[in-house]
Amino acid sequence: MTATLTPGKTTPSHSSSPRTPDRAERRRHWLSRLDVKASPYAYVAPFFIVFGLVGLFPLIYTFVVSLYDWDLLKGQGDFVGIDNFVSVLQDEFFWNSLFNTFSIFVLSSIPQLIAATFIAAILDQNIRSKTFWRMSILLPYVVTPAAVALIFSNMFSEDYGLINNMLQNFGLDAIGWKTDTLPSHIAIATMVNWRWTGYNALILLAAMQSVPRDVHESAALDGAGMLRRFFSITLPSIRPTMVFVIITATIGGLQIFVEPRMFDAATAGGSQRQFQTTVLYLWEMAFFRQNFGEASAIAWLLFLIIVGIGLINFLLSRSIATAETKVSTTRRQRRLAAYRNKEVSR
Amino acid sequence: MTVKLSRRTKAAGTVAGVAAFAMLATGCSADGGSAASGDEDITLTITTFGTFGYDDLYKEYEKLNPNITIKPTNIDTGGNARTDAFTKIAAGSGLSDIVAVEEGWLGAIMEVSDRFVDLNDYGAQDIKDRWLDWKFDQGTDPDGRVIGYGTDIGPTGLCFNGPLFEQAGLPTDRDDVADLFGGDDASWDTYFELGAEYTEKTGKAWYDHSGFVWNSMVNQMDEGYYTSDGDLNIEGNSEMHDRFNQLAEATLNGQSAAQTAWDWGGGKAFVDGSFATFVCPGWMLGTIKGSLESGGGDASTGWDFADVYPGGPVNWGGSFLSVPTSSEHIEAAAELSAWLTDPEQQVKQSKAAGNFPSTIKAEETLAEEATPNELFNNAPTGAILAERAKGVQAQFKGPDDSVIQENVFGPALNLLDQQEATADEAWQKALDLLQELVIDN
Repeated sequence: MTATLTPGKTTPSHSSSPRTPDRAERRRHWLSRLDVKASPYAYVAPFFIVFGLVGLFPLIYTFVVSLYDWDLLKGQGDFVGIDNFVSVLQDEFFWNSLFNTFSIFVLSSIPQLIAATFIAAILDQNIRSKTFWRMSILLPYVVTPAAVALIFSNMFSEDYGLINNMLQNFGLDAIGWKTDTLPSHIAIATMVNWRWTGYNALILLAAMQSVPRDVHESAALDGAGMLRRFFSITLPSIRPTMVFVIITATIGGLQIFVEPRMFDAATAGGSQRQFQTTVLYLWEMAFFRQNFGEASAIAWLLFLIIVGIGLINFLLSRSIATAETKVSTTRRQRRLAAYRNKEVSR
Repeated sequence: MTVKLSRRTKAAGTVAGVAAFAMLATGCSADGGSAASGDEDITLTITTFGTFGYDDLYKEYEKLNPNITIKPTNIDTGGNARTDAFTKIAAGSGLSDIVAVEEGWLGAIMEVSDRFVDLNDYGAQDIKDRWLDWKFDQGTDPDGRVIGYGTDIGPTGLCFNGPLFEQAGLPTDRDDVADLFGGDDASWDTYFELGAEYTEKTGKAWYDHSGFVWNSMVNQMDEGYYTSDGDLNIEGNSEMHDRFNQLAEATLNGQSAAQTAWDWGGGKAFVDGSFATFVCPGWMLGTIKGSLESGGGDASTGWDFADVYPGGPVNWGGSFLSVPTSSEHIEAAAELSAWLTDPEQQVKQSKAAGNFPSTIKAEETLAEEATPNELFNNAPTGAILAERAKGVQAQFKGPDDSVIQENVFGPALNLLDQQEATADEAWQKALDLLQELVIDN
């Protein structure tokens, strides 16, 4: 981008300074080289400066805090090294919170992504009043999570909730949505799914729209049915978007806080911590137990876990991509070899 | 005001408005607007929570002091206010000029009392006599610095549902009910015996959940979760263990409705007869009002307020107004705090918010007026609370008091409510949680 600007700048100066062509030339040359080399960094710098201030600094500072015995109110105490990390890793509530987080994550992400993909595929068809349908699926996303949680926690209320009332009308037993572990996870996953399915569907839909129509058409002419075209053309073509959606869903899923917090406002994730997620535990540690050091350690462990899962996601998607290129290169080499053999034999 | 007052009462505001007008009409001048704050234009920020009933008082103060503008913030629940205050203390900035502090987390605030202004420098000793001694002492730190002016206190009476009592063949007149529970000699033994009788006759629960009953049982002891010296006082405390077993037995026998506190099924449990008695500190009357309204109930639901409490007098909750040292207008903030906690203002606050004042004169006024509370079968709630406040003792609250109440005993009692543990298992659970959450923390 910057390189194209330099000729424009240099042309007028040619005519304006004919007396010292050498020095001017050299200066111009140096300037333009600086421009080419440095300007891009200047252009991207604002993001990194802001990121450094609001992203990196807190991250590092959190790490510093996690090395101290740090009371929320009294502030910095003694240096304790990795003691906070050790005590968090030995803390049964931490592992309980990780289990809950992953359980809710699996219960929400997988059905959500499957549903989103199929909704996107349906919206990708030539249907009437497209915009209406496309906008409607985004509607749940507009509602704040706090409001969603309020409504759903009412519906899932154990004694007076809509869902248990309906179950009892059919002669079934009421379910302990807030006291039993698995039902509470399902209830929270439902809130997450309700809110995020449409959002993901819209992103996937955008990706599907960019799949060339003629590929579909020729496949259809060759006799490929709807399902075959979906699995053989649509899904492979949107793989990069799919990876993006999976990664953002993972990060969001592991940081889940508002839904379990609001689901039972009186406790931090259920009376027996049935649905206390890791971020909720972090919150309890910091603001209830006032142990800022250990809370920072939890924050860092969660950060590492998310980075770890992100890496796994990345490696998986890359290995899929490289496997494909490998296949194609071996094919090409085989063909090349065959061609050369022909040449030789001729 | 307590840790969790989640609903604000709008109607009460009009009452306060009328009261404010009445005060203007009588030409009463408050002690605000002294030379100290000068004529300089000042904006004072104040953070309260739940139902404080201050809105009209702010306007009144602004009228008395034209150079002062009050910018109030009200946080929905005491728990959230605690998080808000703690975060800002930790950050070292952001606190408003006046911060409302609840008794439950006063212990934690006392650990950093040097972050708050010593109100002795602003005339605290001169107005000391306004308050009940113990309330004033609660706001004083070990070094004798006064860091908070008391707003309300939580003397506790017994709420009961008249129609449900009638169905079970129990008396319904509130004086007869007080006698039934033993009057001045009311004990937990009688309470649970009557509960057993009620449960047997009706098949319904006696109290909403065991947590509140437990709170009042502990608050009633001379020393609660901490000794007055600040040591933990739970393990090996046989008196506390006995009370726990007593409550556990009743709960396991079905006297608890196992309700979710502060929610009560969106208030429906107050309407559909899930339980017949309820722990009622002054500020709880406002909570019940909100719950009844959202649960579709009203005065005809039959809740009433009796001048009796099992085990004798008890205080639960109450707040303070503190001025953080980070305030830019310390003097003006201290003046406003003193004005807001003046007996005259406390009476108005009590009418607006339904809570019970902490100053002697305000209590006397409420007792004299004995205004009938329509929602509680016209019980003179203010007068009854004044009666219930007699003999109340302040209990020392330690730094982790609210953690112990909510995160240590909360889960243990919940196991009992859900019939998932024996009394011994639940007590052991509490001790384990105490070790994990408080001792090893």
